[in-house]
Amino acid sequence: MKFFFPDSQDLVDPGFDFEKERWSEARIRQRDDRYAHEIFRKRAFDGLLVSKGIVDGFGGVGSRYSLGQRNRLLRNGVREFFRLDNAPYDLPVMGDCGAFTYVKERVPPYTVDQVIQFYSDCQFDFGLSVDHVIFEFKSTWDADEAAVPPEIRERQAITLQLAREFLDRHRKSKPMFSAVGVAQGWSPNSYANAVKALQSMGYRYIAMGGMVPLKTPEILASLAAVAGVRKPSTKLHLLGVTRTEAIPRFASYGVASFDSTSPLRQAFKDDRDNYYTLDGAFTAIRIPQVEGNATLQKLVLSGAVDQAIARRLERACLAVMRDYEAGKAGVKDVVRVLMEYEHLARPHRSDSPVSKRRRSSTDNESAYREVLEVAPWRNCACEVCRQLGHHVILFRGAERNRRRGFHNLYVFYRRLQRELGRSAEAAA
Amino acid sequence: MFAVDGKVVPKFAAVSRIRRAGHDVAGYQRPEVLAHIDEIRSYVESDNPMIPNAVVLAFDKRVRFESALGPTGTYTRPGEIIIPMENGWEEEDKPGFIVDGQQRLAAVREAEVEAFPLCVTAFITDDLKQQTEQFILVNSTKPLPKGLIYELLPNTVARLSSALNKRRFPAELLTLLNRDENSPMKGLIQTPTNPQGVIKDNSILRMLEASLSEGVLYRHKTKEGADVEAMFSLLCAYWGAVRIVFEDAWGKPPKKSRLMHGAGILSMGHVMDWVGDRHRGKRLPTVDIFARDLGPLRDVCRWTDGVWDFGPGQQRKWNELQNTSKDIQLLANHLLVQYKTRVGSAA
Repeated sequence: MKFFFPDSQDLVDPGFDFEKERWSEARIRQRDDRYAHEIFRKRAFDGLLVSKGIVDGFGGVGSRYSLGQRNRLLRNGVREFFRLDNAPYDLPVMGDCGAFTYVKERVPPYTVDQVIQFYSDCQFDFGLSVDHVIFEFKSTWDADEAAVPPEIRERQAITLQLAREFLDRHRKSKPMFSAVGVAQGWSPNSYANAVKALQSMGYRYIAMGGMVPLKTPEILASLAAVAGVRKPSTKLHLLGVTRTEAIPRFASYGVASFDSTSPLRQAFKDDRDNYYTLDGAFTAIRIPQVEGNATLQKLVLSGAVDQAIARRLERACLAVMRDYEAGKAGVKDVVRVLMEYEHLARPHRSDSPVSKRRRSSTDNESAYREVLEVAPWRNCACEVCRQLGHHVILFRGAERNRRRGFHNLYVFYRRLQRELGRSAEAAA
Repeated sequence: MFAVDGKVVPKFAAVSRIRRAGHDVAGYQRPEVLAHIDEIRSYVESDNPMIPNAVVLAFDKRVRFESALGPTGTYTRPGEIIIPMENGWEEEDKPGFIVDGQQRLAAVREAEVEAFPLCVTAFITDDLKQQTEQFILVNSTKPLPKGLIYELLPNTVARLSSALNKRRFPAELLTLLNRDENSPMKGLIQTPTNPQGVIKDNSILRMLEASLSEGVLYRHKTKEGADVEAMFSLLCAYWGAVRIVFEDAWGKPPKKSRLMHGAGILSMGHVMDWVGDRHRGKRLPTVDIFARDLGPLRDVCRWTDGVWDFGPGQQRKWNELQNTSKDIQLLANHLLVQYKTRVGSAA
């Protein structure tokens, strides 16, 4: 099973000064920054997924690329733009339309020709047909077909029609990339029908779309229905689905590849599981920046929090973590300083309705105690942990958070290989 | 007025931080802007720093001035200022308030230097109103026009703010383009000292910056810095070709020609990067090579009259293109698509 990592221009500045918290002086974005595959000598993923929607931006969703960067990608192609040759292993690149960026439109905003042009210009290895994502899912619709809303049926029809055109043009113009069909559905049977239709057009590699919000049993039920029509030679790709625990079962249904950003994103989006280990996850230690953290900044501006005190505590937290790493401070001292800052930086959490669902700060206290006692970064062999030491566990600013995300990718890839009964080194 | 070690000032002067006291606003200073402080701090830690402008302090009546004997002028009188100072004072015990210069003082406080001399202008008042008035007055001046700063930039070597450091090199190239005999843009770029120029300095700077980070100029960066000569001759060759191919639109004010307008300069800058990459095998393409490549674009350009045809349902009158990122993108994409179909791909 191949793991593709979706590109969202996730880069780090190799010259970032963690003590002074400054970026390198004359740094040019992207050019001087590093991707995960330039940080790790050993594999952390099998390929990249690049979405046209992310590169171009659409409607309210702005591009992650500047106009200059986009043009350079189109001029020089993915291998040069992403510096894929800096990785000591091969990384194929898959392109898709990024259907979620235009989910609100009635029809996709790109023509088949435009998309084929995009894949050819960028020199992709695989190109997905133009699709229109369906987010509704009801297994009961299989028993009651008349209940399926027409606009949902229309989306599947559009996706299949565009897949047909896509393959036609692909056969005529013979571009370098391999064509992958996209199946959209609203139930197990409707997915199976889409796969059947795509196979009869001639597709042998089919991406399953719209499964991101589904529960694992719903995905498995759909894959089981697809298995009933799937030809043995047809490979499947799961778009945006992680679920490590279900990977062996996915594989048994013919899933050959999938993609997911969640190992990266959990590093800074999750409330709890920020730092991956082979068998679990730890909570990262939050030391918000007095300047740069919107909540804290508001408290300072309104006068509710004294900036001088906040800065003093912020520094005390960083210092005590440094001391802890050097063996000069104990877990108890660290947690005391951390909690003092946390009480100042998030003083009214227990009163707001949102925080009831979230962890209370006493939870943080035990989570911090746990992660400090184990100090998992000291036992990790990845380049990020080796270079950063305790900074990797600090939830603070993009340079630290994104590196922790890279570490998660690295660990996730090893979990995946273990699930598949392979060693990651053998896979690389 | 007096001079003092900036490291000592926090011992006797406090910041009157703005806050709510009941229903009223008390104090007047905003929070420290840490990024700004960090910039000043880097400067203070650099070689030969100096902060020539005075910080303003307000003292309460506990501070006295005792004039010395000797000659007195109309405004100046030598003497001694007596400022009480005690260790362990809380902020509100201190006799001084910082009216202007809190970021500078914070930078000096945090800088890794032994001491740092500062000039202080001080006045004595117990009236918070007067302090607030002075705070507003010193902080409502207009910043220097950007164009003037950019024009002065190439003549500096000291460490300026990060944003200005990044613009220094593009500003140097701009000066060359505007002054050198061989430049097709000689005298055409509008700057404070060249007000009759037709191309806005900012358009040129943005075009240069885009190419320095994403385009053909980036290829002439070296480990030591930049190959200015190569960059300059490349710019002269390309824009020289633009002048030849679009002769009618060249050198006219942006109201009469969109080529000289921000949208034109920036999108033609993107074309430059594309053409440059197409010829990346050659070290420096000549005017002729560029002109041959640009020629086929003449038919699709509407710099001075007519209607741009950006595809189905997308027609724009020549003078409706604005200097917005959306319009620049529209125009650049159009030119690049036309260039690719008419001339060829980059790689």
